[in-house]
Order: sequence, then structure tokens, then C-alpha cells
Amino acid sequence: MANLYLIGKPFADTAVGLAREDPGAEVVLLQDGVYLSVQALLAAGKKVYAVSSDVDRRGLSGKIGRGVGLIDYPQLVDLLLANKVLNFV
Amino acid sequence: MAQRRILFTINHAPFGSIHYTEGLRAVLGATSGIDEHEVDVLYLGDGVYFALRGVDRSDTLKYIDTLAKAGRKLKVDQLSLEERRIAREDVAPDVEVISRPAVRELIAKADFTAGF
Repeated sequence: MANLYLIGKPFADTAVGLAREDPGAEVVLLQDGVYLSVQALLAAGKKVYAVSSDVDRRGLSGKIGRGVGLIDYPQLVDLLLANKVLNFV
Repeated sequence: MAQRRILFTINHAPFGSIHYTEGLRAVLGATSGIDEHEVDVLYLGDGVYFALRGVDRSDTLKYIDTLAKAGRKLKVDQLSLEERRIAREDVAPDVEVISRPAVRELIAKADFTAGF
């Protein structure tokens, strides 16, 4: 079970800082969180996902960082149920 | 459901939203009832402004007093304080300042977390 950090824009600094140092962290970018730079997280070897509907409606399809997995809501629910969730949205 | 350990994180700064007070109300709810869950309350990010000495607690005092009677101390993230140039002596004396490793330990120990 991973620590699943749900990250939106308002609390991104704290959330990204915590997740980067957390060996058990996986990250889901939600809402305006899809605008965040995730290079530091990817460089730290973290799994990073973004909710595809939040990406698409912001016109970011094809622009989201390489290494970021796109997930839909059913996949998000699976992740929520399988992991310990830390909410930063 | 049996007793669980729940970490409540409060990220919203006090005032202007219901989160700072509703978060504490939820904490109290979790400590009461049949299961009487073990709770920790942690202020992170702009949430740490609630820990300042002299913050108006008139709408949260009853929650904080009840938690104190149950032996629960509010905790605040040292790094979030430092990032906002808040000195330790500006933090209310009943709030415990904890390091990032201690924050990670709280996360690791928790069965669930709830963010406000």
C-alpha cells in the first residue's frame, strides 16, 4: 500500500515537498494540480498520475509531462481504495 | 469498525473558510462515539497560521479544550513555519512543533488521513 498524495494547486508546495521525501509516495494530480511541474517527483522516482478529464478540459492533452500516467475516474477510485490517501486538494 | 488511528491535516489558513473549524469538529467526532478513534491533528502549509499565539479561537475553543482534556495536543509542521518565517516563540504554547521526519512518522502510523 502506497501513500497516495492527491494534489491540487492551492497546497501544492507542501504536498510536493512531503511526497518527494516519502519513500512510499505515489501522486495523483487533480483539477489545477495538472498544471504543476512534476520533474522533481519523477526525478525522485515517484509514480505520478493525472486525471485525464482534468487534463483534457484544460487543453493539455499531449502536453502533460512524459512519465505521468493518465487515469480516468474509475482508475482513481481503484487507487483511492487500494492506498492510504493524503488529501491536498 | 474497531478503533483506528486517524491523522487530520489542516492546510487551510484560519478564517475566510470553514475548513479550520470544521476540521477540528471532525476530529472531535472521530474521538467520540463507540470507537473513540486515536487522532492526531497536524497543521501544514498555510494551515500553520492557526498555531500563532494570539489567533482568535472563539469559534474553536470548545473543540481544542475537549481535545486537550483527552490528552491530544495540536501539532504544527516546523518546515511550514520556517518557510513562512514564523519563529517558534510566536507559536501558541499549547501547540507542539514537530520536524518533517516526525510528520512522516505520523503519516506512517495513521490508518487513515483526512485533509481540511
